[in-house]
Amino acid sequence: MTISLAIDTATSRTIVGVVDNGVVVFEEFHEGATDHGTAISKLVARALKSTKLIDQVVIGMGPGPFTGLRVGITFAQSFALARSIPWIGVCSLDAIPIDSTTNNLSADEYTVAIDARRKQIYWASYKAGVRIKGPAVDKPEEIPTYITNVYPDIEKLVEQSSVQNVREPIYLRSPDAIPTAERT
Amino acid sequence: MQPLVLGIETSCDETAIGIVRGRTLLANEIASSVDEHARFGGVVPEIAARAHLEAILPSIQRAVKAAGISLRDIDAVAVTAGPGLIGALLVGVASASGLAQGLGRPLYGVNHLASHVSVDYLTHSDPLEPTIALLVSGGHSSLLQVDDITGSITKLGATMDDAAGEAFDKIARIMGVGFPGGPAIDVLAKSGSATAIDFPRGLTTSQDWQSRPFDFSFSGLKTAVARYLESTPDYAKGDVAASFQEAVVDVLLLKALAACKQTGIDSLVIAGGVAANSRLRELAVQRCEKAGIQLRIPAPALCTDNGAMVAALGSLLVSAGRAPAAEAFDADSSMPVTDINLR
Repeated sequence: MTISLAIDTATSRTIVGVVDNGVVVFEEFHEGATDHGTAISKLVARALKSTKLIDQVVIGMGPGPFTGLRVGITFAQSFALARSIPWIGVCSLDAIPIDSTTNNLSADEYTVAIDARRKQIYWASYKAGVRIKGPAVDKPEEIPTYITNVYPDIEKLVEQSSVQNVREPIYLRSPDAIPTAERT
Repeated sequence: MQPLVLGIETSCDETAIGIVRGRTLLANEIASSVDEHARFGGVVPEIAARAHLEAILPSIQRAVKAAGISLRDIDAVAVTAGPGLIGALLVGVASASGLAQGLGRPLYGVNHLASHVSVDYLTHSDPLEPTIALLVSGGHSSLLQVDDITGSITKLGATMDDAAGEAFDKIARIMGVGFPGGPAIDVLAKSGSATAIDFPRGLTTSQDWQSRPFDFSFSGLKTAVARYLESTPDYAKGDVAASFQEAVVDVLLLKALAACKQTGIDSLVIAGGVAANSRLRELAVQRCEKAGIQLRIPAPALCTDNGAMVAALGSLLVSAGRAPAAEAFDADSSMPVTDINLR
């Protein structure tokens, strides 16, 4: 019996949920690309009303726009530290639920993408539900077809936490900075 | 029982955690990303933010261990809410929110500048207020009137352009003596003469004393030093460092003492990273003694950005019965010093 608090801030949404032994007992999100900092506290406070006891924290580790992504990861890790419980990191793209009927897929192979800003996308490809390419960041025209306007899902995030444990944020981009010596 | 408070500071390039009980310092852990910024000649916000995330949990764990407490014993969490680099501040605020919510304890979002002043309470037991505070660092140069550290701070003046510490960094960069510039110039200045070159003192004409007596400007000084270096190829590094440093320190103290005189407050606190400068400390002692002003400068380790100062202000706020922050708040990169803590 495990109760998981799950948090993902890799997209414009702040997503918080509680999964009790495979059953989603709380799931809410807030839409707003610059609201992660305030939304997360409010949503977690509401989530804790459904249960005080949390056994582990599951965290969407990206890829995603850096600032919001870091807010979710830092909050979640600190919460886990305060409760002396473990945290498990999951690739956020792996937590996006794709269904062949609703997404109108003819094959079991597909690519999902989320906004990476600067006219780029974060993407990954899957076959039979397993990631076969990515995560990577590219211009959209370089990726033949992909499913977009999709978001990580609490149930799938927690499901993935039994098969992976990502320990570092997935940034995929270096910080923009030019050393003094290389400036012209 | 005095409140046990954990403080988190991530406004620039130091990931700093402090733990205090009342006014007793129990732990002060700092992880700095300064080396990662050195080759860029200044702090790169995204590099700083990534380093904060990497360092923050291990730093909290080290501080808890050093203090000999358990996280569950914490009565309140305090965090720098601003001013500072937004991406850097957000990591500290998110961590503090996660801790506070995980522990079920109140959270205080405090002002970085006010906490620099409040750290004095960890070393002196007698009340600080009312006092004038000179706050000088790489990001700030302000003169404040502090009537109540938990309730009333008035801004008398601030820099119009560069912060004092920024001027040190820029001159050090032009002279190629390293980053951060403050310590490098401080050392170099000891081998030169402070009176060798007469560099300008910003905003000290009689008209400036009328219109903006407590504001600072260091960009003119920076240009004057740059011009001097360009026109004097065989310049003596020690003399330039000492004369530049003297120009900065002189004007900082002139204005701080003028603020004491005008307000009739005979107490001065100097805080912030530049307060670690040896010449500023030396000259401040001399001038304050002469003017009959009680001077307080925290130990160098408490002058630069640290978590102890955030915990100290948090503890003072708890003891004064001030209300904690609302359930959720955002970091404020330009938080005015008059906002001591977020409601």
